[in-house]
Amino acid sequence: MLLTRYLSLRSLRARPLRVLLSMFGITIGVAGILAIGIANQAAMDSITRLFEDTSGRVDLMVTAASSDSGFSDSLARSLVNVPGVQMALPILKAQTALASSSAQTELGLSFFGTNSGGLILYGVDPLGEPQARDYTITNGRFLSEDRQAFEVVLVENYADDQDIRVGDRVGILTPYGVEKVQVVGLMAREGPGQTNNGVFGVLPLEAAQQLFNRPGQVDQFDLILDPKASSPIESIQEVLQKRLGADYSVTYPAGQGRRMTQMLSNYQIGLNFLSGIALFVGAFLIYNAFAMTVVERTREFGMLRAIGMTRRQITQQMLVEALVLGAAGSILGVLLGVLGARGLAAMMSTLLGSPVQSQLTIPPAALAVSLSMGMGVTLLAAALPSIQAGRVTPIAAIRIRGVPRQGWFQRHGWKLGVVLLAVSTALLIWNPFADDPLFRAGSMVVFAMFTGITLIIPAMVDAWERWTRPLMAAIYGASGALGSRNIQRARSRTTLTVGALLVGVAMILVVRGLTGSFAADLRVWVESYLGGDVYIHSSVPLRADLARQISAVDGVAAAASIRYQPTEVRLSDGSFEAITYMAVDPAAYSRVTRFVFSDNRTDSSAALSTLAAGDALFISSVLAEKYQWQVGDAVALRTQGGVRTFTVAAVVVDFFNQGLVVTGNWNDLRRYFHSNEASTILVSVRDPQSVAAVQTRIDDLYGKRYRLSMDSNASIRARVFNLMDQAFSMFDVLALLSVLVASLGVVNTLTMNVIERTREIGMLRATGMTRRQVILMVMAEAGLMGMIGGLLGLVFGVLLSRIFLTGMTAMSGYRLDFVMPASGILSALVVALVISQLAAFPPARQAARTNVLEAIQYE
Amino acid sequence: MSVLQASQLIKRYQLGVHEVNALNGVDFEAAAGEFVAIMGPSGSGKSTLLHLLGGLDAPTGGTVMLAGQELSGLNDQQATLARRRSIGFVFQFFNLLPTLSAEENILLPILIDGKKPAEFKERLDQLIALVGLEERRTHKPDQLSGGEQQRVALARALITQPAILLADEPTGNLDSNTGKAIMELLRRSCDDLNQAIVVVTHDARAAAFADRVVFLRDGQVERRLQLAQDEAPAQRMRAIIEIMESLEL
Ligand SMILES: Nc1ncnc2c1ncn2[C@@H]1O[C@H](COP(=O)(O)OP(=O)(O)OP(=O)(O)O)[C@@H](O)[C@H]1O
Ligand SMILES: [Mg+2]
Repeated sequence: MLLTRYLSLRSLRARPLRVLLSMFGITIGVAGILAIGIANQAAMDSITRLFEDTSGRVDLMVTAASSDSGFSDSLARSLVNVPGVQMALPILKAQTALASSSAQTELGLSFFGTNSGGLILYGVDPLGEPQARDYTITNGRFLSEDRQAFEVVLVENYADDQDIRVGDRVGILTPYGVEKVQVVGLMAREGPGQTNNGVFGVLPLEAAQQLFNRPGQVDQFDLILDPKASSPIESIQEVLQKRLGADYSVTYPAGQGRRMTQMLSNYQIGLNFLSGIALFVGAFLIYNAFAMTVVERTREFGMLRAIGMTRRQITQQMLVEALVLGAAGSILGVLLGVLGARGLAAMMSTLLGSPVQSQLTIPPAALAVSLSMGMGVTLLAAALPSIQAGRVTPIAAIRIRGVPRQGWFQRHGWKLGVVLLAVSTALLIWNPFADDPLFRAGSMVVFAMFTGITLIIPAMVDAWERWTRPLMAAIYGASGALGSRNIQRARSRTTLTVGALLVGVAMILVVRGLTGSFAADLRVWVESYLGGDVYIHSSVPLRADLARQISAVDGVAAAASIRYQPTEVRLSDGSFEAITYMAVDPAAYSRVTRFVFSDNRTDSSAALSTLAAGDALFISSVLAEKYQWQVGDAVALRTQGGVRTFTVAAVVVDFFNQGLVVTGNWNDLRRYFHSNEASTILVSVRDPQSVAAVQTRIDDLYGKRYRLSMDSNASIRARVFNLMDQAFSMFDVLALLSVLVASLGVVNTLTMNVIERTREIGMLRATGMTRRQVILMVMAEAGLMGMIGGLLGLVFGVLLSRIFLTGMTAMSGYRLDFVMPASGILSALVVALVISQLAAFPPARQAARTNVLEAIQYE
Repeated sequence: MSVLQASQLIKRYQLGVHEVNALNGVDFEAAAGEFVAIMGPSGSGKSTLLHLLGGLDAPTGGTVMLAGQELSGLNDQQATLARRRSIGFVFQFFNLLPTLSAEENILLPILIDGKKPAEFKERLDQLIALVGLEERRTHKPDQLSGGEQQRVALARALITQPAILLADEPTGNLDSNTGKAIMELLRRSCDDLNQAIVVVTHDARAAAFADRVVFLRDGQVERRLQLAQDEAPAQRMRAIIEIMESLEL
C-alpha cells in the first residue's frame, strides 16, 4: 500500500527515538516470554532425556516397594511368563567409590534434585542389556558374555577425570574392602551414561552380586514389552502389580522425572507471570506513545481529514504504524529472548543439579505465543489512540491547539476502576485458581487489578498535588510548585506513566516479598537443620555406632546419626507416594541440633518423648498442608515389614526432599526397615573456633577407613544460600526490567510535555525564568509522578505479595510467613524516585534549552 | 452557472450559557472561473463561512450546494469524499506533512484516494511548473520558505482538479511580495484552469486580484463589490479600500 508507505512508515522514521522507546517495552516482554519458553523446553527435554535415555527402551520397572532391600533374581522367570512381557533385565545397584580417588565427594545437598556423590555401579545382564539400552562404546568393548568376569565399563568423562584407561585394573570399595576389577571399555556420557550425572559404570550381574555380597539378589527388573502385544501397557502394568503384590511396585520409567518437572513448572509460573507484567507495562508505554502521537499530530490528522482522508483511513494508518512497531519490537524480542534463554537454562541447570541442554531449540509454540503476544498487546494498546486519531476534526488543523477535552475515562473511569479493584482483590483473596497450574486466570486478575488502580489515578491526581505542593515547593523551589501543578494538565499521559511506575514498583515488592518470605523460611530451616557444625557423609553406608566413636573425639560436643530411608506413604485414596523417612535418635539429635516446629506453641519435649517412644512421626509442614494431616492422625508407611501405621506427633518445618519427608526414631528404623546404617552423621563442636581442627582430627582417625567426606555447616550454608540467591535473581531481574520500561514511559511523557509546552516555556523564559528553574520545573513534575507511583506501588506491592503468599500456600503446600524485607521497601521507593528523576533529566535539559525567540514565533 | 451556492447559512456556537452567532443568514455563490474574495473584521465569521463552504463543519441552518450536491446533508464519510475529490484547501499554516517531499505532498490527495501517482505525472509536472517549484521537487517542507510551502499547498489543492478551491488567509504570514506572487498564481489558475476560487483575506492588495469581493460583518454580508479585471490594479484596490474605510474596517 502506497499510502502506508508514505504516511505510516515515514512518520515512524521521523521519530526514531520515540519508536525505539515504545518498542523497548514490547521487546522486553516478548524476550521474557520466549526465553522462558525456550529454557522451559530445554529443561523439560533434559529431564525427559535424562530419564528416557537412562531407561532406554524399557517400558516398565519392577522394584521392591521399600526400595532399600533387593529381591531375588529368580523373579525373572515369573515376570517373563506374564503375557506381553518380552524380556526382564535384572539390575543390581551398588553405591561405591574408587579406592584411588581422593575423598572429595561432597554432601549432595540439593534442594530440587538429589545428587549423591560417589560412583554408582549397575550389575547387569551383559547379553540382554544392549538390547534395552544404547551404550555408545567410545573405547574398548562392552562387557563380555561371562557373567562372572570382574570387568567394568565406565563413563568416559568420569574415567578421564580419574585418569583411568582401558585395560587398567581399578580398586573399588566393597563390603570386603578394596577389590580390583578390570576396565574393559568406556561409554559416552549419553543415554545410560547419564546415570548419576555420569559417575557411573556397569559390570556383569553375578560379579556384582559377589563383589557387593548380595548373592542371588537384584534391585530392579527392567521390563521390555512385546511391541506386538495386544493389551495396552497400562493393563500389563496392572496385571503385573496384582500378580506381584504389595511388596513390589511396577512403575513407568518416566515417572521419576515428574517431580522435577513439577518443581520447575512452579518456578516457571513465576517467571512467566513477571514477563507478562513486563509486557503489561510495555502496553502502557505503547498506549502512551500512541496517545502522544495523536496529540502531537492533531494538526496533521486534521489537515489530512480536510483534504479528504476518511476516519477509517486515518485509524488504519495508525494501526499499521502499531503493527510495524509491534513486529519490530517482537522480532527484536525474539533475538533477545534466544540470548536470554541461555542464561535461564544455566540457571535451571543449577536448580536441577544436572546440565540442561545447551543447544537450545526454539519451540514453535513458544515462538508463536511470544510473537502474537507482542503484536497483540501492541495493537490492543494502540487501538484507542488510533480511533481517537480518526476522530480528529478537520477544523482542528486550522485552529490553534485547543484545550484537550477530558475524556470519559478521565471523568468517570475511576468508578470502573473501583469496581475492577474491588472485584480483582476479592478474587485474589478468595483464590479459586489453585487448580490452574499456570496461574493464567490469576495473572489476568492481577492485570485487572493494575488496570483498576490506573483508572483511579486521574481522580486522585488533584488531591495528591494539593497535599504535596508545599513539599514540592520546598524541594524544587517556586518553579517546582509550578511544575507540580503541571501534572494535572496532560492527565491521561501522566496517569499512564504513574501507572507503569506503580506496577514496576509493586512488582519489585512482590518479588522481594515472596523471595524474602521464602528465603526467611528456608533460612530458619537451614539454620536449625544444619544445626551441627560438621557434616559427615560417606559414599558407602556408615555403621550406626560410628557416631558414638566420633562423639568421643577431642573437641566434639555431640554426634548424631541420621538415616534417609526412601519409602512410601499411603494416601487417603489408597495409593502410595514416595517420601523420605528420616530416622534419628531423638535424644542424640537434640544434643546436636533441634527441630523447627511449624506451630511454635508445640511443647517440644513432649513431642520428642512421643517420638522416642516409637510408632510416631514428625511430619513436614509441606505434607501437613498437602494432605491435611494433623497431630494425632495416623499415617501409614510402607516398611520392610509391610505397611505400618504411625501417629503424627508434631509438624515440623523441613524442606528435605522438597518437604516430602517424615521423621521417625532410630528404633523404628531398625524394627520396621531392618536397617542400622547412617546416611549422615551430624557433629557439634565444643568451640565454634575449632571446627576446622576437629574436622581434621576426625578425618585422621576415621576418614580413610570409612571413606568419610566432611562439610562444615558454614560451607553448606553458603552453598544453599548461594543456590537460593541464584534461583531468585532472575525474578529480580524481571521486576527491575518492568521498572526500566516504566522509566522509559517517564522520558516519553516528559519529552512530550516539553514539546507541547514549548511556547509556554519560551514565554516563561522571556518573562525571566532561568534555565535552572525550567529544569527544576520539569523535574518536579517527574518527582511527583515518582512519588505517587512509588507510594501506590508500595501499598499494592505489599497487598499483592500477601495475597500471593496465601495463594502459593494453597497451591504448593509451602506454608510461609510473610516477611517484607525493609530493603525491598526501601529499594522500591528509591527506584521509583531516583529513576523518575534520572528519566526526567534529558527532557528537562531539552526544555531548558528552549530558544525563547523561536518558541514565541512558533506557528 | 455557479459551482458553489450557499443560502441562508447560519452557524451558532454554544459557549456555556452564551450563544455566539458566527453566521447569521449568509447567501454566497461562486461560478467556475470566478475568483471571490471574502473580507471583514476579525471575528466577522469569514473562516466559519469558508469551513461551511468546504464541508469541514455543518451549518446550524441553511444549505450549501456544491456542483449540484447538497453538502450540508452529507454524513461524515460522504463529506470526506466530497472534500477529497471536489474541494481544494489552502490554509494559513501547516498545510504540509513534514515527512513528505514537496512532490509527495502535492500527490497526497491522489495517494489518499488510492490512485496511482504515476498516472498523474503530467498534471503534476504542469502544476509544479505553474507554481514554479521545478528546483524544489524533492525538498522537505522544512527546507522550503514560507512562500514556497504555500505554493506547494496550492499545487496540492489543485491536483485533483477540484470544483472549487478554498483558501483561508493564504498570504497571512507571507511578506507582501511573496503574498503577491501567491495571489498571482491563484489568479492564473482561475484564468488558465477555469477554477472557481474563494479566498479569505485582510489584505486589500490581495483582494484586488478577485473578480468579486464579499464583505462580512457580524456574521452577515455587509457589501458586495464587483471588480472588472481590465481596470488597473491600483484602481481596483482603491475601490476596495474605499469600502473598507466606509465600513470602518
Ligand atoms: N469553535 C467555536 N466555538 C465558539 N465560538 C467560535 C468557534 N469558532 C468561531 N467562533 C466564534 O465565531 C465568530 C466568527 O469566528 P471566525 O473564526 O469565523 O472569525 P474570522 O472572521 O475568521 O476572524 P479572523 O479574521 O480573526 O480569523 C467569532 O466570534 C468566534 O469567536
Ligand atoms: Mg479566520
